Amino acid sequence: MHIPDGILPAQVCVAGYAIAAPVAWYSLRRINKLPDPSADIPKASLLTAAFFVASSISIPIPPASIHLVFNGLLGAVLGYYAFPAILIGLFFQAVILGHGGLTTLGVDAVMMGVPALIAYQVFKLRHPLARRIRPRLADGFCGFLAGAVGIAIATLIFCSLVITNIPSGFDSATERTAIYGLSLAHIPLALIEGVFTAMLVLFLQQVKPELLQDSPRRSQRRREEVERV
Amino acid sequence: MKRTLLIPLLLAAGVAIAPRAIAHGTQIEYRTTQALEIQASYDTGKPMADAQVVVYAPDNPAEPWLTGTTDEQGRFVFTPDPSMPGQWDVQVRQAGHGDIVSIPLGEPVAEATGAAAGEEVAAAEPVAMVSDSVSGSTALDPLQKAVMAGAVIWGFVGTALFFSARKK
Repeated sequence: MHIPDGILPAQVCVAGYAIAAPVAWYSLRRINKLPDPSADIPKASLLTAAFFVASSISIPIPPASIHLVFNGLLGAVLGYYAFPAILIGLFFQAVILGHGGLTTLGVDAVMMGVPALIAYQVFKLRHPLARRIRPRLADGFCGFLAGAVGIAIATLIFCSLVITNIPSGFDSATERTAIYGLSLAHIPLALIEGVFTAMLVLFLQQVKPELLQDSPRRSQRRREEVERV
Repeated sequence: MKRTLLIPLLLAAGVAIAPRAIAHGTQIEYRTTQALEIQASYDTGKPMADAQVVVYAPDNPAEPWLTGTTDEQGRFVFTPDPSMPGQWDVQVRQAGHGDIVSIPLGEPVAEATGAAAGEEVAAAEPVAMVSDSVSGSTALDPLQKAVMAGAVIWGFVGTALFFSARKK
């Protein structure tokens, strides 16, 4: 999933940084506006560690071998913390593990971080959905959707970036089929990560519901505070 | 009796002469050259089978000098032109994963190794590891990598503990 150095032309790498920087800035601004910006840092830090390790856990799905990404999970659980968390996780993956590269750090961050923010929005849909179906079912369903959407969008971005940047020396037809094969292998991965996210979300909801951002209780409390003022 | 023996003998002679008449005097020359074998594998250890390989000669890094594909073991052998010393760039790519390795070829004709037995003899000396994203220069053994990864994870956990302790 990570795009290593030397695969993309320099313009695309620069464009990746140019998109990643304002998104990181926006995420940090949103975090700063929270009542206590450092409250969720322990959670974000632990999930960054999970994200860092996840790429080393490879799942053999013939013909390819792919690894866990967990960007949808980070988005669902961390909200706006997900983007800086993924950026830091990717940096360490590139430097320590050799997954991805420093020139493509911006591209990789956009490829995984932006879908994480989308997954966060998807996960927020559980509040309106909870009015129609059982809240637990809504949490599980939106958790699954968030986890699957995160990896699905990341795969689409990866696929389109790599297909549009095949160097002239390579046979583009062969390379394209290889890319399609790898992308198809990410469909089972999306299901796996979706199920994992749903399980984690349901577990957190049961054990420590305040860990889930914008959980009904917290927004209710905030609303009460606003009303009191 | 003598005549019946003579006819097959004549025929046999004709057959024996015939191929010599058809042949145009083939000649097999051989010389030892230096071949490069690259081995491409993902960092999971799985070889990059049927990956595309592009070789760039030192004099023209923009135009591919040779293209090919790796075999099932992720290997690719080619013979660089010994008259072009310098950095030979070999790029391996499959489904958006790959790497580029620079192989320096110093002296125009390196000393030949191995027995000369054919038109080309693979010396197969400079074996370059190319993998998913670990470039050839940063080769760390698994233990070093594991310790580094452990240190990074401990850094994250420590950050979490620091901030959760401060909260109380």
